[in-house]
Parts: sequence; C-alpha cells; structure tokens
Amino acid sequence: RASDKRIGGRQLTLRFPSSSSTLPENTISDGPRLVIMATFGAAANANTNPNKSYEVTPSPADSISSLSFSPRADILVATSWDNQVRCWEISRSGTSLATAPKASISHDQPVLCSAWKDDGTTVFSGGCDKQAKMWPLLSGGQPVTVAMHDAPIVDMAWIPGMNLLVTGSWDKTLKYWDTRQQTPVHTQQLPDKCYSLSVKHPLLVVGTADRNLIVFNLQNPQTEFKRIVSPLKYQTRCVTAFPDQQGFLVGSIEGRVGVHHLDDSQQNKNFTFKCHRDGNEIYSVNALNFHPVHGTFATAGSDGAFNFWDKDSKQRLKAMSRCSQPIPCSSFNHDGSIYAYASCYDWNKGAENHNPATAKSSIFLHMPQESEVKAKPRVASGRK
Amino acid sequence: MGKKKKRATEKVWCYYCDREFDDEKILVQHQKAKHFKCHVCHKKLSTASGMVIHVLQVHKENVTKVPNSKEGRDSTDIEIYGMQGIPPDVLAAHYGEEEEESPAKVAKIEIPSVPLGAAVPRPYGMVYQPQQVPGAVPARPMYYPGPPMRPAGPGWPMPPPPRPQQWYPPGSVPPPPHLGYRPPQLFPVHGMGMNMPSSSPAPPGIQPSSPAMPVSQPLFPVVNNTTPSQASPFSAPLPVGGAQQPPNNSFPVGGNNSHSYASGPNTSGPSIGPPPVIANKAPSSQPNEVYLVWDDEAMSMEERRMSLPKYKVHDETSQMNSINEAIDRRISESRLAGRMAF
Repeated sequence: RASDKRIGGRQLTLRFPSSSSTLPENTISDGPRLVIMATFGAAANANTNPNKSYEVTPSPADSISSLSFSPRADILVATSWDNQVRCWEISRSGTSLATAPKASISHDQPVLCSAWKDDGTTVFSGGCDKQAKMWPLLSGGQPVTVAMHDAPIVDMAWIPGMNLLVTGSWDKTLKYWDTRQQTPVHTQQLPDKCYSLSVKHPLLVVGTADRNLIVFNLQNPQTEFKRIVSPLKYQTRCVTAFPDQQGFLVGSIEGRVGVHHLDDSQQNKNFTFKCHRDGNEIYSVNALNFHPVHGTFATAGSDGAFNFWDKDSKQRLKAMSRCSQPIPCSSFNHDGSIYAYASCYDWNKGAENHNPATAKSSIFLHMPQESEVKAKPRVASGRK
Repeated sequence: MGKKKKRATEKVWCYYCDREFDDEKILVQHQKAKHFKCHVCHKKLSTASGMVIHVLQVHKENVTKVPNSKEGRDSTDIEIYGMQGIPPDVLAAHYGEEEEESPAKVAKIEIPSVPLGAAVPRPYGMVYQPQQVPGAVPARPMYYPGPPMRPAGPGWPMPPPPRPQQWYPPGSVPPPPHLGYRPPQLFPVHGMGMNMPSSSPAPPGIQPSSPAMPVSQPLFPVVNNTTPSQASPFSAPLPVGGAQQPPNNSFPVGGNNSHSYASGPNTSGPSIGPPPVIANKAPSSQPNEVYLVWDDEAMSMEERRMSLPKYKVHDETSQMNSINEAIDRRISESRLAGRMAF
C-alpha cells in the first residue's frame, strides 16, 4: 500500500550520468509529511557522499546494522539486514585507500551486531535469528553457533579480561558465553529489552528500553553496580564506555548525547548536549565511537551527518557534511586513522519511506585529519 | 555608609549560600541552578522540597541537604523562594551584619570562633544551632567485592581496600589472568546484598576534596595505542562547588534537560517523553515547533523493522508460528549442542 502510493504518486528518483550509477534513496512521501530528504536537486549525487569518503565495494544489498574493525589490523566487518556478515581487507597508502572483499558468512535472519575477539582472529555476529556465531575468519574456519537467546540479539562484546562473549537481547537478558560451552556461564536479567551495550573492561554499560542504563563491574558481573534512568528524556539509542572506564556516553532518539561519570564525586562533570538537529527536525543519534588514541569521540545520526567532539573541553571539533541517508553505525579502526560509517536507511521514518527497489546501502571510509579528532584545550569562556 | 537599616529594599541575597544579587529574579535563577537542581538528572526545580521529592520519586534517593549551601543553611525543611521564607532572625542577622561590616571587620579577623549565641552575628551560622549533619556518608554499593569475597574467589587478584562511593580507582588492579576456571565458580555468589543506590548524595562539602582522588589513570596498562595521557583532562582542576554553567558556547550544552520547544513534553513532570506514536506526526504549522523524526518511544527502529511480515518466520497463523518457533528453537539448540558447522 505504501509503495503504491509512492510509485503512483510523487516519488522522485534522481538519475545522474555518473559512474556511481546508484539511485539515491530520495523519496517524497505523500500525505502530511514534509519533504525531508529529497530537497536536493541535481547536486544530490554529491549529497550521497558529500565528504568524498572512500566507498567500500561491493556494497551490501540491504541496510548495514553494524561495523567492526579488527583490533589488530585494518580488516572491516559489516553486518547487514540481508543476513550477511561481510569482511574486507583495507590497505592504505598515504592518503588513499583500497579495499578488497575477503569473505562472508550468512545467518538465517538479519544480522544486527558484531564484535571482534581481542586477538583479531575471530569475529562474532548475532541477530534476528536469536543466535550468535563465532567465525574464525583469519584461519579461514567455518562459523559455529555459540550463543542463543529467546529473541533477537541486538548487541554484543568480547570481554578480553575474561575471555567471554556477552550478548544482549530483546529477551531482556544479558548472557555471558564461554564459547566452548553450550550454556551461558551467566544470565543476567535486565529491566527491559537491551538496546545497546559497551565494554571497556571492567566496565560494562547497558542501555535498555524505557531509558534504563545499567552499569556492571565485570569483576562482579552478577550485581548491577549502578542503575540510573537516562539523563536524556527519550529512548536510548546507543551507549559507549569511556576508554578510561570512568563513565559512558549515551545517545538518544532526540538528537542528544549525555556524558555521564560513574563516580559520585565527578557528577558535576556530567552534561548533555544537543546534536544532529536540522531546523525543526530532531534526528536520532545512532552511534558513538571514541577515538582510540585521542579520547575524543564521534557521533553519527539519522540526519546523515557525523561529528567529532571533545567532551573534556566541551567542544565540537568538526561537523562533517550531511549525507543523503542516515548513518546507522560507525567505527574507528584500531589506531583511529580510519573512520568507517554506513549510509543507508535506518528505518527512522518507518516502512513507508523504504523503497527496496531504489534503496542503496553504502559503507564509507573517512580518514580523519588530526584537527578533526585531536583534543583541544578548553576555550576560555570569560564568564565568571 | 551611614545608612539606616533599610537594606531590605536594596540588595537581595541567597539564604543558602549568602551570595548577593542585584534583583530577585537573578536570585531565583541562582537558587534554581545551584540549590534546587537535581544532582542526578540536572532538572531544575522551584524549591528545595520540590527537588527532594523529585529525587526521591524519580531516582529513589534521599536528599537531606541542599546542595552548595553553607553549614547550618542546608536544611531541606525550610521553604525558601527568592527572598521569601527566610527566618526573621537570619534575615536580621544578615542585615545587622551588613551594618557592622566596617567596624566589625577587624573584630572578625581577631575572633577565630564565636561561641554559640554570641551577640555578633556571623555568616557561618555560628549563632544558630548547626544542623545535625548526617554522619559518615551512608555506605554506597561497593564497586568491587569486599573482603568476604576473598575465600570464594577462584584465584582472582584481590582488589585494594574499599573506598566508599567509588567507581573503581583506575590503575590499581592488574588484569585478571586467564583462568582455567570451572564455570560454576566463575562468578562467585556473594551475600553482600549490594543494593540499588538509594542513599543520599554526598554532601556538597565533600566536593572540594574530590580533586585529590586518583581518577585519571586507566584501570590497567592498556595494551593498545590508548595512552594514559589521554585521561589527563580529568586532572584539570575541578570547579569547587560544582559549577554547572556551560563553560563555552561551542557545545550547545543543555546542562539540564529542560526542553525549550513548544511541542516538547512538559518539563515539570517526571522525565518521560511524549506517549508513543506509531507514525511520524506531521509537523505543526507553527514556525518554531520542532519534532522528532523518530518519535516512537515504545520500540526501537530495528524492532519496528522486524515487525514487518517478511521477517516473521512463517506468517500463516499464530499457531503455526509458535509451532515453527519451537521447531526452530530445537534445531538451533541442537546446532549449539552438536556444534554443527553450516
């Protein structure tokens, strides 16, 4: 029904005589919704990749749900709604990049999350088939199922200090898996569906539905160290632990990020800031990633933009140009020289705005300049 | 100045911290930002008791002291709004002290402490019975397992002695070795009964000592490229008294979560957003109205996408669904058990 409306109605597809030969996902929707994404004219091609990032090919057939770089090498893994887990090897020479697809595995249903083992040999992936698979891709091994939940697995992380995989699911549990065993080492009940989790050993932070944020000390994982209601008033979208484990970032659907410190004595350093808003539209913050070297971080949103921020001096370091499609996920590589982000539909406007025939999913690689990601000293405010 | 005691019409001042302001509006703003602000979510309330109730209802914590207030002025029972509600003796003492400022300055310096009930009113509340400060801060949930854990631990290195309310002090525990543990012993159950944080916040008076805490180093030497120096911003001097104002304008720092747009939720109630709406609402025709592009609070974007019929395993009937789900589950479980590659 929705597609009929669009095809018969005022769907606008923009074609360009360019080599990229892709139809950007620009549609005008019927009804009361305003034109939001397709306000660009002939320059729309530039808007699919306005930052002139390197595009990873071949691009997945459907939206990308997660991107993970190996902690040891420039190998990128992407999981997708087309049920595939793909891996590329990236090579850098100077300021240019090249990518080579290496291998892929499949799940039975869309794959939502991925994680690398800390030794860079193995990739874990999980998704709507309620399973997590372990893929020893460096050795060319076959994937095996190592985890199961009662509902889709939405996020996962490898815990290096304990050699365990932790998975979070819409079944309101976290499960810890020793990959050699069928049953989880521990199941932790959550107050609601898991939406996002992040590990920086021994800190584990989980964001669930209903705006719960739960912190665990992985040296005592059976007990919640702290549970708070999100400082953001809207649904939690993503959480990321500080590299120094002193706190975490939380992003919401309301274009806002919270910076939260765990120690009570540092609560006065907590703050929130608005981002990924355009005019009177407020977009969701979909991804938060710390730069592995500088301690600054990137946010990516449904508005198609990604920005770099410094939480200690409370500054935005760089605002990148908006792509025509939302960015649902992103990741830095192990040394921060590459920032990978996906540009594809994240469902932020529902099914009505998805046209599978013309939808394009891309993975872009951006090489941040030092000025974009290096921490800056605090600006003197002149205020008492 | 040889003015008469008519100062009530001149400067206004804050009961909690004795600061002076040019007019009452600014005083009220100051009180909201410094004394009536929730320490958890930074919501600004209108009175101290309102803030206490908010923290109790929303964050399940007991607040016993007004933040950033002086000793003897930190009671949450007194209802202060701007200049209203100040007890007359405090009021008089403040202005009486004003009058005596010049001649009494020397006297103040010479008299180190004033016996209670002394005629010379002092700004530090020495005239009044000091409020009964709650003693040691109530025990917070310990971050790491305490001494009782030791016998149960499967050989993990022992954490250092507990420090209350501490997130784990970084740099003090080496990474646990890879253990050949048996799973049942992995997470020793402890009977310490760590509860949800429900105790009162640290008295503001403790804050100035916080810079002394070693919070800046990473927990253990990090293997990868992250360097300890990246944490050094934390050793920057912490503002005493918890200055909350945004230091510069580069971040559109909210600081608090009050929404300023018309279509947002009311900011006075508990911090929950608008009720879930399935489709995106049409933007209002009013010029300054903003709206969330994704506004469904009840489900995430992925959940919405997964609700599409094409992702149902078999979408014949719900009965078939549950049977098929059970079959799928058994297949998956056998895969897990048999470790079949596929």
